[in-house]
Amino acid sequence: MQNKSYGLTLFTFLVYLFLLGPLILIAIASFEPSTVLKFPLTGFSLKWYKNVFEVGLFMSTFKTSVIVSLLGNFLALLLGVPAAYALSRGSFRGKNTLNAIFLSPVLIPGIVLGFTLLKFIIISLHIPIYAALLIGHTVIMLPFIIRVIGSSLSNFDFAIEEASLSLGSSRLATFFKVVLPNIRSGIIAAVLIAFLESFNNVDISIFMSGPGISTLPIQMLTYVQNYFDPTIAALSVMLMIFTAVIMFLIERLLGLSYFTKR
Amino acid sequence: MALLQLDNISVAYDQQYILKDFNLSLEKGQLLSLLGPSGCGKTTTLRLIAGFLDAKDGSFRFEGKDYTRTPINKRNFGLVFQSYALFPHLSVYENVAFGLRIRKVKDDEIRKRVMKMLEIVSLHGFEDRFPGALSGGQKQRVAIARALVIEPDLLLFDEPLSNLDANLRVNMRVEIRRIQQELGITTVYVSHDQEECFSISDKVAVMNKGVIEQLDHPSVIFKYPKTEFVGRFIGFNNFITFTERQADGDAVLLTVNGLPFRAKKVPGMSAGMKGAIRPDDLLAGTENEISEGPNVLDGTVKVSTYLGRSYQYIVETALGEFTVNKEMLSPFENGQRIRLLVPPEKLVLVD
Amino acid sequence: MKKRYLYMLLMPGLLFLTLFMIFPLAATVGSTLFQNGQFTFSHYTQFLTDAYFLEILGTTLLVSFMTTIICVAIGFPVAYYISKLPPRGKSILLALAIFPLLTSSVVRSFSWMIVLGKNGLINNALMGIGLIQEPLSILYTPTAMIIGLVHLFLPLILITLVGVMENINHDLVEAAQSLGASRFSAFRKIVVPLSIPGLIIGSILVFVGSLTAYTTPALLGGKQRVISTFLYQNAITLNDWNAASAIATMMMIITFVVIAIMNKAAAKFNPKG
Repeated sequence: MQNKSYGLTLFTFLVYLFLLGPLILIAIASFEPSTVLKFPLTGFSLKWYKNVFEVGLFMSTFKTSVIVSLLGNFLALLLGVPAAYALSRGSFRGKNTLNAIFLSPVLIPGIVLGFTLLKFIIISLHIPIYAALLIGHTVIMLPFIIRVIGSSLSNFDFAIEEASLSLGSSRLATFFKVVLPNIRSGIIAAVLIAFLESFNNVDISIFMSGPGISTLPIQMLTYVQNYFDPTIAALSVMLMIFTAVIMFLIERLLGLSYFTKR
Repeated sequence: MALLQLDNISVAYDQQYILKDFNLSLEKGQLLSLLGPSGCGKTTTLRLIAGFLDAKDGSFRFEGKDYTRTPINKRNFGLVFQSYALFPHLSVYENVAFGLRIRKVKDDEIRKRVMKMLEIVSLHGFEDRFPGALSGGQKQRVAIARALVIEPDLLLFDEPLSNLDANLRVNMRVEIRRIQQELGITTVYVSHDQEECFSISDKVAVMNKGVIEQLDHPSVIFKYPKTEFVGRFIGFNNFITFTERQADGDAVLLTVNGLPFRAKKVPGMSAGMKGAIRPDDLLAGTENEISEGPNVLDGTVKVSTYLGRSYQYIVETALGEFTVNKEMLSPFENGQRIRLLVPPEKLVLVD
Repeated sequence: MKKRYLYMLLMPGLLFLTLFMIFPLAATVGSTLFQNGQFTFSHYTQFLTDAYFLEILGTTLLVSFMTTIICVAIGFPVAYYISKLPPRGKSILLALAIFPLLTSSVVRSFSWMIVLGKNGLINNALMGIGLIQEPLSILYTPTAMIIGLVHLFLPLILITLVGVMENINHDLVEAAQSLGASRFSAFRKIVVPLSIPGLIIGSILVFVGSLTAYTTPALLGGKQRVISTFLYQNAITLNDWNAASAIATMMMIITFVVIAIMNKAAAKFNPKG
């Protein structure tokens, strides 16, 4: 049945133009030489790309974002890998409930989670903002770590693990020498997905900015609410390239089907 | 005149021919099987007849009309899928009624025809079930009922029994044959299971690499395969390649390595130089039981396995290894010298 | 493996979530029900009689509803088109849909500021061809919010639906056609009903996502508040913790009610048996 409907092809093209057009426009706008974004361009310049590196707040918040995402990722792995292993390995009472609890941070509206964390961690427990930021990001990364690694583990043949145990290896050694190497791509993918989730997060971070502490998306948000120059366009282009690279890696590791599963 | 006629059909995927100059014809009321290993083009042929594939060249005529470009939904052919393809969101009743609703048949007429068809496939009382709640055999019956209720001009089966377990397979094929004969409906049946095809067909076409190697009544194919491929496919495991061949009255005289063989002449016999024989037809015995002479081979038992009814031996001879089955109380030993006799009426010559 | 060990492996994560998610949420909900140590619904009755809040709630629901409807209307045919493409084309279109999904919401909302703004692409183009004299004010309106949210969530419903439609056995469509159905009626009678559970799940994601999104309304909505920006305003700008807690609780309740209703509906439309 090769006779495709041309109407639908055209419609799909227009929808993709809608999806990608604005992102392409940012890229074009980033080369505008004047200080105000406008169309058509008045010339061609790379100075805004240079300017990104000269705005101190972009650099410092970028650093915060990376540190929080990486450290949070590490914490989420420490908490999430054992939990994912237990949830896919064992059968015990309350397993479904526990599974639901571990995945629930994606269901709670981010803005609500951010607010309650502010209220209790910072205000009530007097935890410093930086630590609170880290905790908040760990909470939102945990479900992604557990879901991706859990699905990797569900494809893992646990007979291999039993074979290792029968050959005299301890449980811990078996986990590191047999289980972990076999789910390595799942773990790397989980780290990348969780990293993007955390790096792009606004809803939690926005409640946890304080004097001298903020993440890059929050800094960008504040910037575009006040200025309208092509610096932010240049920065956006750099972030999009960064996103594309990570997406390419995830695709290599898990395939695009990871995204279409619900 | 044939009901269905494929003339010089070619089908290609990515520049690669799956069928090339393919010809097939079928008489009204017959059940024709397309038999062959996977990749032989049998499913392609079926999908072409159904209308899912377009022929690159050639024509497809049905009841004298050109069907080559007729869309699927205008062909009025019933199709039974390997996966059954029952609509999971519709009840058994609605599944069967689907084609009639498309044809805008009146409700009471639909009711009558659906119920009658469920009766025929022995599924009375299952109308309100959903496909998810049916066993494999029941799903298959629904699929058949759904294809039949539209009173198709042609019924097509695509490996309908391959998802069923062995016992059910035998029952269902009897059922399919019964329904087909009861309704006198012309049918094309695709399978890779030789026994299944032979048991239900009026005609079997054995296919290989997009070509029909042999098209005949099952009993003829079973006894007289025309080509080495067909022979192997239906269980002729032993082949002898002769170097000389000459006619001698109602027999054919053959020679290889100075060993003389005779084969009985049959009408339409191949002019090939290869002889084929089934393990069951080959006789085995000790040197005392079989005396030297034409059609006899000396050999040594290499491997023996027990098949239940008989023993099977792999015998090493001057012409290579032979497989032979023999019913006996105490089996030959490995390494034992024995003789094989090739009965002339069982030796079939193939291309 | 001994159950004791399994629970030991789960414990650290569970404790962490209890302390930093479940407890803060429960405490927030709890705090809204008391005033000076007295049990009361007054925080809520206050809001639900406040015209300003009701207007915000109404706008939020309307914007989310419109976003969902538009996403479904656009997403369904496009997802069907993608699901029918050969593998290579399908992968490319899926990748192009996933890319915006992974891109920062700040970047994506900002892109619409470029398009819709006073000196933006649309206004420049329209004035350039002389269709309008004065720039239209599209940016900082609910319409801009809807456009931004559709842009934000369309990829989500697209990939969800493609996933569902890919799982519909193609034999079913062929079976329907062999029974006389045209391509369109096979689509309508087989593909559409079998896609409904996926459509409902996709709609939940879009509706709940729009309802609680912060970045897009904050950047494209201007002075028009929605509940998420209203929550932020109450917490950070006005420092009204009680109000913010009550809003947070209501957002959670609405979210869970929507998820529960839609899940029930999805179960109802699931193929039987």
